[in-house]
Amino acid sequence: MKVSELAEKSGLNSLNEYKDKVIEGVYISDMVSDIITGAKANGILVTLQTHKSLIAAANLVDVAAIVFVRGKRPTGDVVELAGKAGIGLFVTDMDTWSFATKLNELGIK
Amino acid sequence: MSTCNHKWSMVNIRSGYLVVEGCHKCKARASFFSAEPVPPVDDYQDGEHFWTYLGSSQAVKFDLTCDKCGEVVNLDDMMGLMLSTCREPECEVARIAADQGKGTWIYVALCADSTHATGKCVSDAGIKALTEYFNGNIRDPDKKVIVVPCVKCKSIDTCEGIVIADTGLTDIY
Repeated sequence: MKVSELAEKSGLNSLNEYKDKVIEGVYISDMVSDIITGAKANGILVTLQTHKSLIAAANLVDVAAIVFVRGKRPTGDVVELAGKAGIGLFVTDMDTWSFATKLNELGIK
Repeated sequence: MSTCNHKWSMVNIRSGYLVVEGCHKCKARASFFSAEPVPPVDDYQDGEHFWTYLGSSQAVKFDLTCDKCGEVVNLDDMMGLMLSTCREPECEVARIAADQGKGTWIYVALCADSTHATGKCVSDAGIKALTEYFNGNIRDPDKKVIVVPCVKCKSIDTCEGIVIADTGLTDIY
């Protein structure tokens, strides 16, 4: 499934333009230092964290898109950096567990 | 020299704290990784330095091993990684970024001593392995990562960048 298809099927709000990659996995973490050891290329990252260092970590491991749960929204400079990296940023009002369940229902694991 | 076309994996992943100290006498900064449950905050004298705790952040350390030949690259000398956003004309890191152009991202591997007074920084073997590891996992054909040692920064204390660290994450505890 592509990122755009996931966004449509799970009602995500897009924050920027992005490369519409085929999703290859999911990682959930609120620690940026943990992301570089756990997240994988073309994966979806689900997080509450909105700090700019999140993008520095996600870019290093070639994450396809980041979903901010519980309506968290990053600042403009974070969105701009993600755009340069081609990383899609999305917001959902769901909490982490509910969104993870949704991903599972959609077959993304 | 190894002839192996390395395929690197992370090993020895351990969690802890990156503790940053400053010498109030010479203004040097130093950092170390602590695996203690609570990061040490004591001031102490070490030779000519009088180190004072400046702060800490949750961090992860790791080494790299080659799945093909078994070589292990120890990264104890790397305290963290920083995405460089430096535009300083006199900084070598900024020049490397400018020469590479769009799609190439420069990450600075940070060593323990910002002054580099000892002449040491993150090892050449570590820098090479880190660059190969991260690029080896990138799927985007338009994206490339170059890892450089912090000794290439004009001044690591003033160079602009985004450090991959969880500063402030434990402040409420």
